[in-house]
Amino acid sequence: MERTVTVVPEAGLHARPASKLVQTASRFDADVSIGRPEDGDDGLVRADSMLSVSGLNAAHGESVRVVAEGAEAADALDAICDLLTSQVEEADGGSDRDESADDGGDPT
Amino acid sequence: MRTLTGVGSTPLSGAGTARWHRPETALTLPDRPDPSAVDADAELARFESARDEAREAIRRARDRAAERVGEEEAAVFDAHEQFLDDPELVGDVEDAIGDGTAAEHAVHDRFAAAIEQFEGLDGPMAERADDLRDVRDRLLRALLNADELTDLADLPDGTVLLAERLTPSDTAELDPDSVAGIATVAGGRTAHAAIIARSLSIPAVVGVGEPLRDVADGADLLIDGDAGRVVVDPDPETRTAAGGGEAPAVTERVATADGRPIEVAANVGSEAELAPAADRGADGIGLFRTEFLFLDREAPPDEDEQYDAVTAALSAFPDDRVVVRTLDVGGDKRVPYLDLPDETNPFLGRRGIRLSLDEHRDLFETQLRALLRAAESTGGAASADGTDNADGTDNADGTDSTGGDGLAVMFPLVSRLEEVDAAVAAVESVAADLDAEGVDYAVPELGAMIETPAAAFLADRLAERLDFLSVGTNDLAQYVMAADRENDGVADYHDPLHPAVLRAIDRTASAAGDTDAWVGMCGEMAGDPALTQLLVGLGLDELSMSAVTVPAVKERVREVDTEEARALAEEALARETRDEVRELLDLDGE
Repeated sequence: MERTVTVVPEAGLHARPASKLVQTASRFDADVSIGRPEDGDDGLVRADSMLSVSGLNAAHGESVRVVAEGAEAADALDAICDLLTSQVEEADGGSDRDESADDGGDPT
Repeated sequence: MRTLTGVGSTPLSGAGTARWHRPETALTLPDRPDPSAVDADAELARFESARDEAREAIRRARDRAAERVGEEEAAVFDAHEQFLDDPELVGDVEDAIGDGTAAEHAVHDRFAAAIEQFEGLDGPMAERADDLRDVRDRLLRALLNADELTDLADLPDGTVLLAERLTPSDTAELDPDSVAGIATVAGGRTAHAAIIARSLSIPAVVGVGEPLRDVADGADLLIDGDAGRVVVDPDPETRTAAGGGEAPAVTERVATADGRPIEVAANVGSEAELAPAADRGADGIGLFRTEFLFLDREAPPDEDEQYDAVTAALSAFPDDRVVVRTLDVGGDKRVPYLDLPDETNPFLGRRGIRLSLDEHRDLFETQLRALLRAAESTGGAASADGTDNADGTDNADGTDSTGGDGLAVMFPLVSRLEEVDAAVAAVESVAADLDAEGVDYAVPELGAMIETPAAAFLADRLAERLDFLSVGTNDLAQYVMAADRENDGVADYHDPLHPAVLRAIDRTASAAGDTDAWVGMCGEMAGDPALTQLLVGLGLDELSMSAVTVPAVKERVREVDTEEARALAEEALARETRDEVRELLDLDGE
């Protein structure tokens, strides 16, 4: 299954948003990949790789395509798209949204 | 004496002994073994244990950064750990080892490709290449059993650390008490390492380039992070002017020999600078730059974060005044998420109060809310009149320039009276909102920075409207002399001792002297002990400077006689050229 969304965080998929996305993608029993819609399947990279996600260099306002496969594909897709379409919380204090997404961890 | 120029990254000065940090030389790779000679299983195990070792080191660095610098800066190490465990990187390295590459070569090759890829990207990702280098070096150090060449956490006092570039982990290990400064061949001021150095208040100049490589270990160096220069074998005058040789702290307030109190305060640009400023005996903060709350991040800070930062400053100086400057971006200070316009001439464009009253009015109001709440929390200036006081122009009280005044707020780059009226009206409207919401607040003292010729000409009217004026000499010299601060070609013009600039300062101080408003100075000029007598003579009540120069200026104030100082100021104002002024003050011509 897949979905195409617009990147909302001001910083694009850099720094903290990228970090969050990789964390989230690693948490599910699913293979999640991400890429620019115009690049097709060849442009998809692993969403659990910091190197790949950062290397995508996706900016605020760009469209990205998220593809998920596996047992928890639906949940993974929801969580990832939720991240991509929300403004990122700054350093102090985790957000409620993260907790409900079963973050369970580090508030930074 | 020889001067090298780079980019000032931490606007502080420090002097000491050069010491090169060359981590790369310790990480020389052995010759590549023949693939048939590689025991792939053994190499995979080595790689695995190197990753464990690196992971532990990253977590230690993270904890140390969180403790010394803050969670925000520590977060970069979370990204390091993600690179370390990156499935693509790890998978490729393991594949290469399986094909008969030794672990260190496999790590070296894969990271080299990734670093090259990142350096080819635009914008913030290029800085991420430093993060990859950092992770790579940790892995290689573990694989090659290389000790740290230099124990960065335990350098001798007065070390000036030189390096090709510094990684964020390197920088976070530094002890600000022993490291007098940093200079690097490469790197920009927005790199993580530069940000951490700023947070630790370590003077730093980055991007000096090739000439830095010629500086030998043991050389006597001055790092002038304000001017962005590295001076080799500085002469004593240069060193003193830059605040290199630090005098012991003077904790008590000081007055001139004949008893006129002069407040000697510190300019502070980050929370980490608060404690050192208090330790050096600053009588409060004369310029609290709020930009640090806005720079190097992805979205503006909310009201509570700003409130916390201001109350932290107030609690560092419970008996003193803290002058907070409202957001001063634009000009050379860029904030990516604010969408500032590209301008041919940004120093003459949308910056300071101009943005706050117009396109960034929302940020201004949020900041004012935080400030009015903070003013109340510590029993700030106007709270003596009760929290119902929404009259920001009331300057009948709080004019005692010698202390205990709590919070004061000043507006940057004022050039029109309407701006001040609109800013005061914004304060009143925020006060009314807080009142309606039942939130505790107080209206702090309000003032304007005098940085433009327009403000100096209007100083009399500004002083009638406000509680204080504060002269920002760096911008004032730039605007009075029509000389770009950043342009070496007109550096000679950019000097507050030019008669035109002195007259602007005099006009400001005299105008304030005729009212109840107090007048301070928060530019670099204020921190030069050789000019203290002149400034006292011009009638300034408060001098605010980089904390490192506070002790020397306090000592100097005690020697000054007010009458003599006034006579000196009159003499100086009568001189016709900068050189004549310098001669009068016994300063060497440059």
